[in-house]
Parts: sequence; C-alpha cells; structure tokens
Amino acid sequence: MPNKNSLPSSDNPEEALAAVVALRAMAEQLERKAVKSAITQGWSWSQVAEALGVTKQAAHKRHATSIKKQKTTQ
Amino acid sequence: MFKRIRLRLRDMKTVSQLISGADQQANILGEEEPAAEHFVLSALNLSDGTAKRVFDRIGANPDNFLSAIKQQYTDALSSVGINHDAIETDPEPIENSKLFHNSKPSGQAVMKSLYVSKQGDKDRPLLGAHVVAVAADMEFGIVARALKAMGIDRSQLAKAARDELDSA
Repeated sequence: MPNKNSLPSSDNPEEALAAVVALRAMAEQLERKAVKSAITQGWSWSQVAEALGVTKQAAHKRHATSIKKQKTTQ
Repeated sequence: MFKRIRLRLRDMKTVSQLISGADQQANILGEEEPAAEHFVLSALNLSDGTAKRVFDRIGANPDNFLSAIKQQYTDALSSVGINHDAIETDPEPIENSKLFHNSKPSGQAVMKSLYVSKQGDKDRPLLGAHVVAVAADMEFGIVARALKAMGIDRSQLAKAARDELDSA
C-alpha cells in the first residue's frame, strides 16, 4: 500500500483523478486475472463472490463469459 | 440531392467501421466498452488516412498513440508510488459477445460531438480527422493525458485536424 504522504496533493486534482482512473484500470485487470486463476484452481463461483464481496450472480455475470470462452479455446 | 444521399450512406458505413474498430481496440486492451481513446485508435485505422495525416502535420508519429495511452497509466500510477512495470497487470485481450454496443461516457461524448460537428459540415464525408478534431477538444481524460505524454499540444492538433479537413 503506498504511503499516504506519496499520494497526489488535493491541490492537484488533475493528477489525483488520473491516478484514480489508473488504479481502477489496474484493479480491474487484477480482478480478471485473479478470478480466472481461482476458477481454474477449482474455486466455486460462490467462493469467488464471497472473496470479492459481491453476489454470486454479480461475479458470474461479470466474468463467466470470458472465462468460458478462454477454456473452450484452450 | 443524390450527392447528399451518397454522403449519408458513406457516413453510415464509416460510423459502423469506427464503432466496431473502437470495440475491437477496447477488447484488445482488456476493456469491455470503448472509451474516447479507443475511438481515436479506430480512427487511425480508417482507410481514409486523414487521422494519421493530422498527426503527421504536426510532426507526431500516430503509431505512438497506443504506447502513449499505456505511458499515461504508468505515469499516473507512479504518482501514487506504484511502479507499474514491477507488477503483472498488463491487460489481457477479452472476447466480447454483447449483441448491443455500448460505450464508456468518454466514448459517448466523442460520438455526440461527432454528430454535432457533422451537422455543421454536411458537404464532406465523415473522416478520421473529424474524430481527431473532436478528441483534441477534450480537455481532461485519457486522450488528453496520452497526447500530453506524446508532447502534443491539443490546440495545435485541433488546428491540424481542421486544416486536414479543409484540404480533404
């Protein structure tokens, strides 16, 4: 976790907002990879959902299609 | 009359290519919906070649726009102490099976501005340079930051886009 003192100053919202966008994109990529890895290792969608703090339906809706497609192309 | 109809049909084809190209660019970069930067990348691939020529006019390499998008993410993450190169979060391409197209808000803004821009420019076909002109007017966001990473002045790019359109 980055030190709070290294966060962009609130006097520079442009830089702070750019960091927010980049962090969101990074979190999204990380989530996709982690879910794919968990499902490949045999986790259930309920377990993935619990770990992410979302509903099973939400986790499944968000990731199932791309994971299924990747499995069928392998 | 017939010229207008022909232009209209051509524009519809260009819009279709632009949107499907933006969708493709977003998916390649691991995103489900295209944003403004994906529309610029799609415009650079349009066969009219005007979007690329806009960049050429100001001495910038249009092929560097993609790496500039990545660079602005790296820069933004380093501002919060994260070394992007040290973590494995490079986007994986995704396959999108959505039947209906949707864009991120910045992508929707590009399409709305394109529509408005074309309302005042009905005698010319829709060209990649129109997309660059619209994107250059966006003050904030990923496109603005990517252009900054390339050392491009947005107002200069917007002027080059207008000049390209005038000469098309």
